Formats: sequence, C-alpha cells, structure tokens
Amino acid sequence: MSTNSIKLLASDVHRGLADLVAKRLGLRITPSELKRDSTGEVQFSIGESVRDEDIFIICQIGSGVVNDRVIELLIMINACRTASARRITVILPNFPYARQDRKDKSRAPITAKLMADMLTTAGCNHVITMDLHASQIQGFFDVPVDNLYAEPSVVRYIKEKINYQDAIIISPDAGGAKRAAGLADRLDLNFALIHKERARANEVSRMVLVGDVSDKICIIVDDMADTCGTLAKAAEVLLDNGAKEVIAVVTHGILSGNAINNINNSKLKKVICTNTVPFEEKLQLCPKLDTIDVSAVLAESIRRLHNGESISYLFKNAPL
Amino acid sequence: MRDLIVLGGSSHPHLTKQICRNLTIDQGRVSSKKFSNGETSIEVIDSVREKDVYIVQSGCGEVNDNFIELLIMISACKIASATRVTAVLPLFPYSRQPDAPHAANLTGAPSISTKKESYTFESAPSTPRPLSRGSSYFNDSFATGANSSREGLLEKATHNSLRHPVPYTAKSLVTNSASTNITSVDVSSKSDNGYKQWVAQNGTLIANLLTTAGADRLITMDLHDPQFQGFFNIPVDNLYSRPLLKHYIKDYIPNYQDCVIVSPDSGGAKRATSIADSLGCSFALIHKERRAKVAKNPPSTAASSSSSSVNLLNSISMNTTNMVATTMLVGDVKDKVCVLIDDLVDTSYTITRAAKLLKDQGAKYVYALVTHAVFSGDAINRVLKSDIDKVITTNSVPQSEHVSIIGPDNFEVLDISRILAEAIRRIHNGESVSMLFDHGW
Repeated sequence: MSTNSIKLLASDVHRGLADLVAKRLGLRITPSELKRDSTGEVQFSIGESVRDEDIFIICQIGSGVVNDRVIELLIMINACRTASARRITVILPNFPYARQDRKDKSRAPITAKLMADMLTTAGCNHVITMDLHASQIQGFFDVPVDNLYAEPSVVRYIKEKINYQDAIIISPDAGGAKRAAGLADRLDLNFALIHKERARANEVSRMVLVGDVSDKICIIVDDMADTCGTLAKAAEVLLDNGAKEVIAVVTHGILSGNAINNINNSKLKKVICTNTVPFEEKLQLCPKLDTIDVSAVLAESIRRLHNGESISYLFKNAPL
Repeated sequence: MRDLIVLGGSSHPHLTKQICRNLTIDQGRVSSKKFSNGETSIEVIDSVREKDVYIVQSGCGEVNDNFIELLIMISACKIASATRVTAVLPLFPYSRQPDAPHAANLTGAPSISTKKESYTFESAPSTPRPLSRGSSYFNDSFATGANSSREGLLEKATHNSLRHPVPYTAKSLVTNSASTNITSVDVSSKSDNGYKQWVAQNGTLIANLLTTAGADRLITMDLHDPQFQGFFNIPVDNLYSRPLLKHYIKDYIPNYQDCVIVSPDSGGAKRATSIADSLGCSFALIHKERRAKVAKNPPSTAASSSSSSVNLLNSISMNTTNMVATTMLVGDVKDKVCVLIDDLVDTSYTITRAAKLLKDQGAKYVYALVTHAVFSGDAINRVLKSDIDKVITTNSVPQSEHVSIIGPDNFEVLDISRILAEAIRRIHNGESVSMLFDHGW
C-alpha cells in the first residue's frame, strides 16, 4: 500500500542536521545501515520499503573524507532508485567540489560538473542545496536544483545577536561582493570590500580595503570558510584600518586544516557558521565559533517540495 | 608510440611505471593533490589533446578516494579534448556484490540456528578496518548509540510496531517519539524482522559513473563476476591472469602433473577446473556448507499464512547472517601437493580455512595462487600463521608490504604489467586482444 509520503534518509555519520530536520518535520529517519567492508568499500541497506515513496536524502559533506561521503551518497541514491522510489531528492547543503567549477587551467577538471553528472547518473531527481559557491552550478544539472539561501537566517541572527546599527558589512573578496551587498541592503547597512590577490588555492597573498570602516563593527560575510586564512588576514586589515571589532558570518564552515588555530590566533572576535557542515567537535576547541541553525529552512523546503508548493518564499524569509 | 599516453593514479604508481616501461614510453605527468578539506585536485600536466589516454588505477587502499580520483582524471582528460579515454583497473572496485537475500533463499534451505548481534556480509566477515582512517568514525556512531539507549520505553514501542510487518500508513511513521531513537530502530529492523531486502547493488552504479565521467573503454583483470561486463555500455576487456598462473605451476611446481588443483569455494570451481584441465592435473573442490540446520518449513511451501511469511523473512536474514559454518572437501588430496586457486583474497578466511582442511586431509604441501591479494585488515597475519606453505599472487595491488611480512621465500609476486602493457598496445593499434586470454605475455 503506497502512501507516497516523505521518507528521510541520512547516513550514520554526521546526522546532526538530519535529526534536526526530522524533528522539525515530526518524522522519523528511515532506518538504514551503511557499512564498510574490510577493503573500505561501502555496503548499504535500507530498513524498510521505499517503493513509490518520496525520498529525501540528507547528506552533510564537510572536510576530511569527502570522497568517501560522495560515494556513500551515490550508493544511497542508487539503492533507493533500484528499490523503486518515486522521487529521490538529495539535500546537499554544502555542495562538494563546488570550487572546481571552471576550467581555470589547461587540462584542469570541472569536478563540480562531474559531481552533478554522477548524482544524476546515480538516479537523483532533485537537488536542494544552499548558498552554492557559484549559482551557475545549477546549470550543470539536468534535474531541478533548488539553491536555498542562508541569508534570511543570517539576517535574523545579526538582528538578534549583534548590535548591528554600528556595523558595516564586508565582503572578503570581489566574488562575494554581490552576496555581501544583498545582506547590507537587507540590514540597511554600509558595505565595504576587500580585494585580495590569491597566489594559489588555500593561500592568500595581499589585501586591499575599499571603503571606510573606522569605529565600526565589521561583519565579514562569505559563503565558505575553509582554512580561515582569508578571514584572519581580512580581520587584520580591517583592524589596521580602524575597525572596532571584526565578526565573520559564513555559510559553510568547512574549517579544515589548521582553521581552528587560525581562528584562535586571529583578531576575529567571533566566527559564525551555519550547521550545513558538521563541526560539533570543533565548537569545543574554539570558543569563538557560533552556529546558526538552518534546519528549519531545509525542513520547510522539504515540506513545500513534497506538497508541490513554491519554495521562493524561503529565499527572502526564514521560518522560525 | 604515437598519440598514446599512460597516466597513473595514486593507488599503484609502481604498476604504472612498469606498464610504461614495457611500452617504452614516458609516463604522462599528473599532479594529484588534496585540498585541505579533503577534496581531490587533479592537474594533467602533459597535453592530452587528440591523444589516446590510458589511466591506471587499482581498486585498493583508500578505495573510494582512488575511485573518485580516477573519475576526476577521466573527466579532466575528456574536457581537455582527449580522443579516447581508457580506464585500466587491474582490480575492479566494488566488483563483489552483496548477495541478494532472495537469491540466497533460492539456493539452499536457510539456517535458523545461529544468531549474531550484527550481521556480516558473507563475502567479507568483519575484520578491523585498515587503520588509515581516524577513529572519529567510530566515536560518532558510539555517541548516537549511547543517546538512543536513554528512552527504553519508546524503544520498546518501536520494536513492537516494527516486528509485525504492518502495511505502511502515514500514521505509523509520523510520530515525534520515534524520531528520537533512530539507532535502536536500526538494530531491530535488521536483526529481528528481516528488513534486508533493499540491499544496495552497486554494480551498475559504478559502471554508470565511469561512463558518465567519460571513459570510452575499460581494461580490467579477472573480474569477480564475468557478468559485470554486462553492466557497461562501453567495451570492457577482461584480461585473465590464468596463463601467468599456469606458467608458474608448470615451471616452478615440481612434478606438477601429480598435484591437485583445489578451488576453495564452489564459485571458483570453473576457474580452477579450466586450469586443471589444461594442465592435466586432478581437481578437488571445497564446498562451504552453509546450512547448519534445516528450517522447519521449506521456503517453497511457506508464505501461505501471514505468520509463516514472517518466519520466512527471519530465515532469509539469518541466512546472510551466517558465515561459513562447515567446509567439506570433494576429491582426494592425501599425500598430494595442493594448489589452491582463487581470484580475490580479502579477509583470507576462506583460503586459510581451505588450507587447514587440506592439511587435515593429508595434503603434503599447499600453494595458494591468487590473482588479487588484497589482504585487508589482519588478513596477512592470518595467512602467515595458516597452513598455506606458499602464496603466489600478482601485482594488481601493491604487494611490497605483504612480501616483507611473509618473506620472499613463501610469497611470490607475478608481474601483470606485461599483460596490461600488451593489451594497451594492442587496443591502441586496433589489434585483437583475445590472444592474451590464452597465452599471456
């Protein structure tokens, strides 16, 4: 007997966000088991029937074993597909390999496109993601992609927790200027930009500030914080230019490598990330970190998608 | 050779080097790095425009990392206008499929005697994972386990509701209470009511991923399932190590006509008999007896009432739970030299048990000829302590560590790079590959 109801699936590791979404929707995560055999290959089984159901797979991919998580996800999708699920939606808040989205050198791979192809090949029908590094990645897919924004949640956080009347929004690079400007408009704040010259990936060289930040609370806005070298340097540049304090608000806190040390040693007062990427254990190592919960946005998008309602409301408003 | 370029993944650089040496070409340069968040970064340094590209990557070590690396390399070459991209996978990853529960039901009466806490796929009994990964994985799963034990009452409720397969209604799923103890539901759903029907079968997925990335052709060796070729829409050249193994038996085993070729399980019988036939040796087979106890209701007559269908589900899950219970030998090995032949040895349970059985039956000396010796976990130590007197394998996966543990006197590695190189040469020139199947190189 088919009901075509929502079925949530999540892998065993990093299911913090999935649990929050499930709780919000009042659902139970479908029991499933992901095992590795002795060679490291992944074996997956689903604990109940998914025939003709509406499947939502929540997958948090952070740092570390990215490739393992990708394969796990693909196997999960394919398992649902071969088990006759009606529709498979993948919720990938942090899209892996989003930064390799163009052929910037000779013979460089466009891995983001490869990821898109792989997800479609595995059998996924719909992708929900959040704050894609480049929104053009949506075009890599042959299936619908809903790119949600963390901005409404970030706006609420800033309004509630930060004395934002004295603040100024900073974009740490030219690429993120649009995102920062949008947020500045929403908060009716001024906006400044840091121009950086990047020598190599994960390395930062020289920074130039464009705009006046003296005696302001600087809120650096970015979509991704990896090693946090950029943020630390930006904070220094801002404080050198007379800023009162520097706070960073980042959607995807990947925080890999020696990010924690970088943050702890930096002049940043706070680094606020959404929970798209699991970093519970890092919260304990770094008192400057704080979390914005976006599970409500994801849960609401699942509900709307399942019922065939419009999702665009969520682009401007965050559900409480 | 014109327009031929061979690239190597990070799984087995030595084999790539050997292949290039056999082809007398320089290896194409690739820089494979990891970003600090764990994503793989590939840069193909030599031009591949209008070239025939071969990428060597074995399914060993960090399997998933290596597989993704291969996909990215294929894709990078395709985007960089390579004419044709061929993936050379000496050991094909994910070539073993977990047995489908219903298939197990067809072949034998399921057993209901043994019961295990957690089930294991029978192709790979649980060994400790290789220690290369951090322990955070385990910590995570333990943490969730501890959380779930808090609410015993709720747990019981879900147990009961899941034990009887009721029709799925929205009502039974939409409960807040159930969402708090997921792990316990997991455990019960697996061990008690036989919900193992939806085991992922990864074969087609892996095949499709390779095709999607842009592979035009595949070269592999001794595929575990020959049917795997059918999952692909592109040509798959499955090479055989058989000629190599045959040469070894002929040249290095004294009085090889008197030895007995033994297959350690019934699945490999065909492989072993074909070698035995062509060498004129006698043949023996070790049969894994799976049914420790015959079920009360034969499965064919069951499923008439609802209660017996529950029973059936139980017994199916038990069957996959059960490991090799007893083994029996078909054939005479007394005072003979035995040659065990298998395509893939991973945990080495099967082959070490087989060797013990052979020695118990009076075998004089036991060779083990294995194409792909993965030896994950503590398998290599098990082999060292086992009754196997000598292991002969190929370098389809890196073997230097294994050689140093077992010692070069009792562990020989045959070189497959010549076969692979010759296959690459022939495919590149558009010649027939089939000669390699019978004669090796």
